[in-house]
Amino acid sequence: MLAAFAPLAVLAAIAIGLGLIILAFSFYIGPRDPSPVKSQTYESGMTALGPAQRRVPVRFYLIATLFILFDIEVIYLYPWAVQYRSLVAEQGWGALASMGVFIGVLVLGFVHVWRKGALDWD
Amino acid sequence: MLDLSPDWGVILTHFAPELILVIGALGLLSYDLYVRGKDGLQPWITLGVLLAAALATGWLYTMDPAEVFEGRSAGEVFRSGAFLSDSFTHFFRLMSVLTAGLVTLSGIAYMRGKTAFKGEFYAFVLFAALAMNLMAGANDLIVIALGIEFLSLVSYILTGYIREDRLSIEGGLKYFLYGSITSAAMLFGLTYLYGIAGSTSLPVIAEAVRQPENLVVTHLSTFIVPAALFLVLAGIGFKVAIAPFHQWSPDAYQGAPTPVTAFLSVGPKAAGFAVMMRLFITVFGTPELSATWLGVLGALAGLTMILGNVAALTQSDVKRMMAYSSIAQAGYMLVGIAAFGGTALMGTTPLGAVLFFILAYLFTNLGAFAVIIAVDRLTGSSSVSAFAGLSKRSPFLAIALTIFFLSLIGIPPLSGFFGKFAVFGAAVASDMFGLAVVGVLTGVVSAVYYFQIVKTMYFGDPAEGGALRPSPGVVFVVATALVMTLIIGLVPQPFIEIANQAVTALEPIAGSMVAR
Repeated sequence: MLAAFAPLAVLAAIAIGLGLIILAFSFYIGPRDPSPVKSQTYESGMTALGPAQRRVPVRFYLIATLFILFDIEVIYLYPWAVQYRSLVAEQGWGALASMGVFIGVLVLGFVHVWRKGALDWD
Repeated sequence: MLDLSPDWGVILTHFAPELILVIGALGLLSYDLYVRGKDGLQPWITLGVLLAAALATGWLYTMDPAEVFEGRSAGEVFRSGAFLSDSFTHFFRLMSVLTAGLVTLSGIAYMRGKTAFKGEFYAFVLFAALAMNLMAGANDLIVIALGIEFLSLVSYILTGYIREDRLSIEGGLKYFLYGSITSAAMLFGLTYLYGIAGSTSLPVIAEAVRQPENLVVTHLSTFIVPAALFLVLAGIGFKVAIAPFHQWSPDAYQGAPTPVTAFLSVGPKAAGFAVMMRLFITVFGTPELSATWLGVLGALAGLTMILGNVAALTQSDVKRMMAYSSIAQAGYMLVGIAAFGGTALMGTTPLGAVLFFILAYLFTNLGAFAVIIAVDRLTGSSSVSAFAGLSKRSPFLAIALTIFFLSLIGIPPLSGFFGKFAVFGAAVASDMFGLAVVGVLTGVVSAVYYFQIVKTMYFGDPAEGGALRPSPGVVFVVATALVMTLIIGLVPQPFIEIANQAVTALEPIAGSMVAR
């Protein structure tokens, strides 16, 4: 039973082994000639400005969280819209009503966020 | 072929308590938007919604079973949907409403002024009750997973609710981190169950595992079923805080606002055990299948009782002590589940004993926590020293806490005695003498730490002398819990019957559902 997975194990071993071999070769026999320019951070050819770990206003987290919440919820609209005809055939007005309830809760969440001031930038 | 067209009348009827909770919670959130900063009606709206949910549950309770099931047998109903509205669910619906209601009442004064987000707090209490209902009625792996996640998320938020308090944040974060890992483990286990049966529906899984030759994946099933069950047990065990999945609980209990601690000690435990019973008993409850998990469950029960009771000995914070105490109590409940195959004793079936134990534990523990909430609010501390001289500062709270502790130890004629008696009796009846002995011995150990508090209350010198005046809500909860602790202890029979009736929804399925 487990023998059926043997080719997979061989493939994994080859893939990992090959990667390690290539890394080892370039590490041991590649020429090394460091210079200040070479060890600079690569920034698409631009001169690097400041460190990468900068402080970000905490507000971005809130905005990002809200975005993800609404984004994911809106995704549920697509399969519903695609299947709408067959849903109506099965459930009648329930097909529209159930999505109406869903959107209603979503709107309530939006109003809540708004009234609580999470969208005020200052 | 499954009939997909929903019967709206049936759905609205049998989902009524949950719908009331959803609408109530959302309504409360909306109401809160327009009374910002003011001392509004939020707690009273919460209590009204909970009362409505309780009445709806009572209405469902009194329905004629023949009408409810439309002439179908319990087994047929079991096969029918993702959410079951049976007597077992009704029992836990009442548990969740009681927990949320008592926590709300005892927490009104405590939460006042602690947080700027007052309406959300009570909305989360309602959402927590809703999540518990969903877990209790879950008949599908997806509903189980969503219910547990829902309750977990609400619990994390409530634990870290006081943003200004470092302990609260720390407790919430630890709870969240442990919870994420155990959730991942549980979901992994659930995918295995789906993988072997090809369905997320519990009845389909139940049939699949009873006919191993029909499994989708046959060659590994003897190994996969126990492995999957253990992973699922990790997720549920985390929610009910049994060893070795309990490490989050002392920190979360200590850091959380005390009313939330009270909720955590009862709500998730009751709901977690509901899921555990539904999944393990109805699906994996046959003698052959239960052999794969009974040993593990029994061992965890023993470990939980020992660890909870011993670790509680050295705690200097009453909330931490209650965390270990509630771990130990979860161990006692687990004994009843491990003994589920045993015969009836004193009129209880083993699973009925578990439900009866949870009922008794709910009132006793919430009563004890109401006292702790009052002391914490009035002295600003939940360390043992804050309880010094409580007998002089508030004789009512002191005597009430003593009685609750006596009930938690299991002294007759209080409710805790009959809970323990029923559970350990079931263990003895199914030849699990070891568990019963461990339970009784660790129960003796538990007397030590409970009585340390009692000793401090009656013989300790208070740091300051003034009388403590508990809020009306706390007085009401303490009085209710006292009365119920005494009534359940003195007249246990009606409550045993309620518990037995609730588990009839499980038992016929456990015995012969698939032997059709």
